[in-house]
Amino acid sequence: MMHISSILLFIMYFAALVAVSWCFTDMETGPGAALFSPPNGGDRFKIEGRAIVPGLKTQDWVSSARVLVEGEEYVGFLRTDGSFTVNDVPSGSYVVEIVSPTFRFEPVRVDITSKGKMRARLVNYIKTSEVIRQPYPLQIRASGPHSYFMKRETWGWTDFLMNPMVMMMVLPLLIIVLLPKVVNTNDPEMRKEMEQSMNMLSPNPELPDVSELMTKLFSGSKGSSKTSSSSSSSKGPRPAVKRR
Amino acid sequence: MAKLIFLWLKCLVSCCIVEAVFEDQVGKFDWRQQYVGKIRFSHFDSHVQSSKKVLMATEKNVFAALNTRTGELFWRHVDKTGPEGNIDAFLLHGQDALLVVGNGRLLRSWDISVGGLNWEVVLDSGSFQSACLIGQQDTVKHVAVLKKTVISVHYLSNGHQKWIENLPESENIDYQALYSGGNGEVYVLGIVPHSHIAIVVYSMEDGEIIKQTSVEAPWLSNIQTSCAVVGQGMITCVDSLTMSLYTLDMHTQSKMTQIPLQSLGLEVTPHFHPVLVSHQPNAAHQPLSEFLLQLGPEHHLLLQLNSGQMVVLRDFKPALLASFATAGEKTVTAVMSPKNKTACSLSLFNAETGRRLLDTTQFLSIDPNVGKPESIYVQAFLKKDDSVSYRVLVQTEDHTLTFIHLPGRVMWTREEALSEVVTMEMVELPLTGTQAELEGEFGKKADGLLSMVLKRLSSQLILLQAWVSHLWKLFYDARKPRSQVKNEISIENLSRDEFNLQKMMVMVTASGKLYCLTVVKILSLLNFPSPSKLFGIDSKTGSILWKQYLNNVPSNAAFKLMVQRTTAHFPHPPQCTLLIKDKDTGLATLHVFNPIFGKKSHITPPALTQPILQSLMLPLMDQDYAKVLLLIDDQYKVTAFPSSKNVLQQLQETASFIFFYLMDSSQGRLSGYRLRMDLSTEQIWEVIIPTEIQKVVTVKGKRSNEHVHSQGRVMGDRSVLYKYLNPNLLAVVTESTDVHQERSFIGILLIDGVTGRIIHEAVQRKAKGPVHVVHSENWVVYEYWSTKSRRNEFSVIELYEGMELYNSTVFSSLDRPHAPHVLQQSYIFPSAISAMEATLTEKGITSRHLLIGLPSGGILSLPKMFLDPRRPEIVSEQSREENLIPYAPELLIRTEWFINYNQSVSRVRGIHTAPSGLESTCLVVAYGLDIYQTRVYPSKQFDVLKDDYDYMLISSVLFALFFATMISKRLAEVKLLNRAWR
Repeated sequence: MMHISSILLFIMYFAALVAVSWCFTDMETGPGAALFSPPNGGDRFKIEGRAIVPGLKTQDWVSSARVLVEGEEYVGFLRTDGSFTVNDVPSGSYVVEIVSPTFRFEPVRVDITSKGKMRARLVNYIKTSEVIRQPYPLQIRASGPHSYFMKRETWGWTDFLMNPMVMMMVLPLLIIVLLPKVVNTNDPEMRKEMEQSMNMLSPNPELPDVSELMTKLFSGSKGSSKTSSSSSSSKGPRPAVKRR
Repeated sequence: MAKLIFLWLKCLVSCCIVEAVFEDQVGKFDWRQQYVGKIRFSHFDSHVQSSKKVLMATEKNVFAALNTRTGELFWRHVDKTGPEGNIDAFLLHGQDALLVVGNGRLLRSWDISVGGLNWEVVLDSGSFQSACLIGQQDTVKHVAVLKKTVISVHYLSNGHQKWIENLPESENIDYQALYSGGNGEVYVLGIVPHSHIAIVVYSMEDGEIIKQTSVEAPWLSNIQTSCAVVGQGMITCVDSLTMSLYTLDMHTQSKMTQIPLQSLGLEVTPHFHPVLVSHQPNAAHQPLSEFLLQLGPEHHLLLQLNSGQMVVLRDFKPALLASFATAGEKTVTAVMSPKNKTACSLSLFNAETGRRLLDTTQFLSIDPNVGKPESIYVQAFLKKDDSVSYRVLVQTEDHTLTFIHLPGRVMWTREEALSEVVTMEMVELPLTGTQAELEGEFGKKADGLLSMVLKRLSSQLILLQAWVSHLWKLFYDARKPRSQVKNEISIENLSRDEFNLQKMMVMVTASGKLYCLTVVKILSLLNFPSPSKLFGIDSKTGSILWKQYLNNVPSNAAFKLMVQRTTAHFPHPPQCTLLIKDKDTGLATLHVFNPIFGKKSHITPPALTQPILQSLMLPLMDQDYAKVLLLIDDQYKVTAFPSSKNVLQQLQETASFIFFYLMDSSQGRLSGYRLRMDLSTEQIWEVIIPTEIQKVVTVKGKRSNEHVHSQGRVMGDRSVLYKYLNPNLLAVVTESTDVHQERSFIGILLIDGVTGRIIHEAVQRKAKGPVHVVHSENWVVYEYWSTKSRRNEFSVIELYEGMELYNSTVFSSLDRPHAPHVLQQSYIFPSAISAMEATLTEKGITSRHLLIGLPSGGILSLPKMFLDPRRPEIVSEQSREENLIPYAPELLIRTEWFINYNQSVSRVRGIHTAPSGLESTCLVVAYGLDIYQTRVYPSKQFDVLKDDYDYMLISSVLFALFFATMISKRLAEVKLLNRAWR
């Protein structure tokens, strides 16, 4: 058994490395821009446009932004006014992107015919032939800053208090505790008024109290502590009212 | 339906795999170092008196502005790699920096204060020769660019062409230099080698030829290297054969005046090509009549040419480097002369008189590990009392930049060699003495109960002591102001942390370009996190602990770095081996060193006389716990290192189980070999890939330190789908030789490296490279360019054994009768990629992510579950049970998945992943032009408390509950008592 496992160990660790010479051939065959150029070759065109970040001076962001055409096959830089030109691009179809570490720009596909006619359209990687025209020279507006970060789940007293469940529990409690104190129940006029309003609320005394019904229903079906506690708090004072 | 799926996907993405950096984690355990590369041209910004900018154009096609106070980047513009982004010339005028790029293809003007482009114009084709600013009546408004056949003049303000003229007789005359003395005339100097110099004078206004002369100069072969214009239009040349200086007044003379060097009492060092350097402080004025002449590697002279009289102002011998600098009206010469082996001195000399300036001499030490100084760039400035002071930027052979202020104070250094990292390894830090002692206790054999107890007590005591001293240090540091407390990192206090999160990064850098000597340097960085997270994004960086400069390395070397012994074997020092192989001859050398201290090991590596084809590390260890390195030469003989008796014996025992493969890409032959007892080899299999049709691009095996935790995947119906975990599997990627977009294809072969059996073959039609591959566990992910749909696509291949495992205890390539099931799926990726790697953790329990370097500078952490060939097109109950994401053709790039947030990393060339001591955590280093180090948690931090863990909340809740029980207990007691009374 020992023997087998040692064999396997060796097979496992069988060298997995690449003869170094070839990593370099890989690099050299890298971006084959020249190979991709059309057979009529020669003609080179330029892609022009302008990038806009609303509400920000250009000098604050142009130095960190770049224009990438089809990955890094062609590179352009932004002028101090936000406009750009990518020179020396052969005819073909390219995705033009403005990359900036702070702002997000939508990429645009630019088609250049062999005669140098330009057309800009929305990038659609799934339906590559679909054409939704975009203005040319390109007008690329930043759609806001990049969102890199997740929001931390912070915990504060306000979060706890503003929780609807807590509100549901606390508010009735407050009413029950505070209302008898605010309203002077010894005042006979007040008492009369209250009785009147009680009658208004339950015009038909034979009908069962709605809240009582609900309480029964909930405490019967669900034993959840929250509902029971809230219902008990609402149930508690009722007999007191009735007693009066 | 598609919308629905998309929605479901979005929902899933946002619910389950929210994995991003928190804002307060910025700079906490990640750092970035930005580099520019080796300087080709550099100027100090001098148009504002108090400017802090130094501008540099580098061989990495980068144009950058650095802060001279701190050495940090103000801004940096990274152009295309290769000759198309090559910076040919850099002229600075006021706020405008003019660059000629791509062999004279583009002329750009940058606004150096903002870092934005002023304008860019395309120049006519033709190879670039020279460029210069043209002044007229004290102002500079034009720039002239000289090409092989034409000269063009452009306005500085907008780049528009003022005029362009063909050069006369350009087929015979090689025009090489431009000169303008500020009088509205442009001088073009051409040469017919070993015959004559042609001078064409153009009018700046309309480009008309004013004058055309030719002067005999049969000794001259190149103007750029041996001539300069000095003073009032005097061409001055130096020739080493005739040992003479030649001068010519371009305005009046038609014959060169010869001044033999001997008449000045000088002579040229044999086999040295003398160099002339003139200085033109302002393009609107004439150059100075003083110039520098270098006659030997350590011999410089300051000469003056005054009305045809040549005067030696000062002879600097020995002097390594000399350079002019101007401050206001004064021009000085800075000279660096060697003092002894480890130090040299720098002084300023008045350029007009050659007198040494007072209080300008400073000494600087030269580290033998950084190589000799190569060039100096001097920033001279006037002090309040009108005397000249200076700062100097020194570039050494190993591409280190050092900025030095006058009393020899180093203001900052930059290791620009780190922009060229070739390969790297992460090495664990050693244990401290106490830790090692404690570890040693467990290793020893038991010798009596009492002694063991005593030993235990003593080691416990040592720990206590260490803890107390640590506490004391904490207390001591707390009293000091915050700014003074530095987390000092030195070799002495290097030790492993609890979770092994800090490791040594050993990096090998190289630059084997056309222009310079090869520079190889091993640097080691530590991924210590920043102690100051207050500064957020401007966080502290990893510090360099040691560096070593290997100066006898061939210019086109390939490197392979291997860790032979880790720090785990305490009395034995850790050991790394660097294999340096000349790519032309195949001859290799080994450099053995200690990765923690950087010292060269005393172990002598074997002399390798034959070209090396392949090298492999075996898990075998010698008696000193060093892993065995096998080197296979072109005679298919094997050399072992270390080759002690013990090792040879072990090799003989296990020889028949050691297999390796060789790849000959030129012949498309992949062959497998087995080791024989006598350390020769025999071929056991061979796969020929016809080179006429396709060429092999990459062969990728699995990483040897990879662990797979789960043998299979649990399906929705509770059955298990077993993975095909063949550790010997090779992924061979081929590209078609036909590059036509209709016929090109990418091929992928999965070959068992022991038996040579082809497990799977896949072809992607209408696709081309560059292909990026990751091969791990039971899957291969590769990315290619689809020429048909013009987009980047990802494809994933997964291999499964099926519902039953053939031999569940061990895997053997020789005994695996069933072919694996192969599943494959492809996806659209909306960006090009520059590097790709998979995360790696200690035990392989954590889910995997793919780390993808994008050209935009982001490093995307893409969960592997998006690249799963079992993603269903139609959602079923089972697939939902299995947590499979429904298939969507497009993979999304979400900026929340960028592990480096806004810390863009340029030109990522490689991503190195290493496991840490925590299963949840994987260490990541991305290198390219920049270096970025961080940690990733592919399945979140499941094994440690999160750093946002709210201790306050939990303790307050606990206390509240405690008091609540106390109070309610009291209340209950009172109530009971009351009831009892009733």
